[in-house]
Amino acid sequence: MARFPSAEWVTLYQDAINGNPAYKVGGANWDKGVVALICKAKPDVGLEEDAGIWLDLHKGVCREARLVTSAEALKAPFCITGEYARWKQVIRKELDPITGMLQGKLRLKGDLPTIVRFVDASKALVESAGRVATEFPDD
Amino acid sequence: MSYDADSTFVFAFPTRVIYGAGAVSESSLECDRLGMDKVVLVSDRVLAEKTDVVAQVRKALGRRVVLEFLDVPPDSSVAAVEAGAAKAQAAGATGVVSVGGGSVIDTAKGIAILLREGGSLRDHEGFQNLTRKAAPHVVLPTTAGTGSEVTYVAVIKDVEAHRKLLFGDYNILPDSAILDPLLTVGLPAHLTAATGMDALSHALEAMHSLQRQPIADGLALRAIHEVRAALPTCVKTPGDVAARGRQLVASTMAGAAFSNAQVGLVHAIAHTVGARFGVHHGLANSIAMPAVVRFNALACPDQYRQVAEAFGVDPSGSDEALADRLAGAIYAFAKSLGLPGGFKDVGVPREALGELAEATLFDGSVIYNARPVISAEEVLPVWEAAWQGEG
Repeated sequence: MARFPSAEWVTLYQDAINGNPAYKVGGANWDKGVVALICKAKPDVGLEEDAGIWLDLHKGVCREARLVTSAEALKAPFCITGEYARWKQVIRKELDPITGMLQGKLRLKGDLPTIVRFVDASKALVESAGRVATEFPDD
Repeated sequence: MSYDADSTFVFAFPTRVIYGAGAVSESSLECDRLGMDKVVLVSDRVLAEKTDVVAQVRKALGRRVVLEFLDVPPDSSVAAVEAGAAKAQAAGATGVVSVGGGSVIDTAKGIAILLREGGSLRDHEGFQNLTRKAAPHVVLPTTAGTGSEVTYVAVIKDVEAHRKLLFGDYNILPDSAILDPLLTVGLPAHLTAATGMDALSHALEAMHSLQRQPIADGLALRAIHEVRAALPTCVKTPGDVAARGRQLVASTMAGAAFSNAQVGLVHAIAHTVGARFGVHHGLANSIAMPAVVRFNALACPDQYRQVAEAFGVDPSGSDEALADRLAGAIYAFAKSLGLPGGFKDVGVPREALGELAEATLFDGSVIYNARPVISAEEVLPVWEAAWQGEG
């Protein structure tokens, strides 16, 4: 069980991505670079600063995953930003991230058509997050 | 009308719509309301030099116009947006008034972003990527099809990178849309028809999108009814202000519908053939619609029954027969407006269809099409039907 978001959670997430055959297939042609996620600060649950998650994804493999600052995360070619409660919905599969972007629940920096072209990979990434035994600080 | 038990939606429509023949005179009051005391007036040279439309707006706005920016190309570009924004900033503009069609309005949306955020337009590419509202923006559309006056989308060509930047953001929704049918009466018949069919395609696509939702459905169905009733008159009797008004409002309703419900395969095809062969966007949508309706026949029959009723088509019979009848009616409608029926009629070579089918999969619109589009082989027959122009 790892707390979201934390370095420990990110490590488990990388393992979950690399252990997910659906991601290996869906992301097999992904060569568009790093995808970063930013979880906005929520001090009332102990999340004092924005947390960035750096995912170096390449051809169906997550080569590196680490916790970074939001400033660093924003340097990635694709960066998805959301409130803590939104990420909780995503991890619990209550919110499809692409629908979330279209509905203004998540923010994407980068080219949306590229992301949707890899919709299977996106779904597998979300599914992988759901496989991580996650402890949410407000539960 | 049924929706999935787990469906969710957001319907955003913050744009204030002001309608009426002569409503151009309201533009100054809208600027007052929005605190826009120094504005850049964005339009294109054709409108400015060959019509009195820009002059009318300039007169209505008076001294608050600190700059006229007319260098908008037919396909809005990063260079045009950045040049316009730099000049507007130098002139002290704090708001934007746009007068024109889709390219002008998209350019103005880009300028509104840069007036607020600065930097390069490329810095702000994305979906819901802006953290605050763009500079205030009042739109006066001169075509009745794009619906861009009420959409959260702007598409701007990055010529250097050979791609289009896509912006989808509630923060770029215009503040006011002034719908004055008198501004559209000078639109030539072929553009009236093609842009009008663009509005029909927005409404149709909102209905068969996987993101469809009841509020957008209501707008889309009404828009379909209005386009059918008004567009032929607009083409045949350009000076009919009542018909022009109905079409203009239909375009806005269809715009609000698709801005919330998204578009599907029709637009994926239109974007693809537009980028590769320069086919006019509205015309490409017009040509693609019948083939896509037939392709989707079994995926969304309930929606197509509603569309058929709104379009004056008998909604009875089997799902496939209904879709076939609806597709035939759309085709006949477009032909009656003087539009070509197939891509073969607009310079698209048959041997390009394979390449176009592949490229379709790279357009973001396909993921919301009622029938999933997985492979180029699957979509190739749609392209072949649209190329042939089967009624």
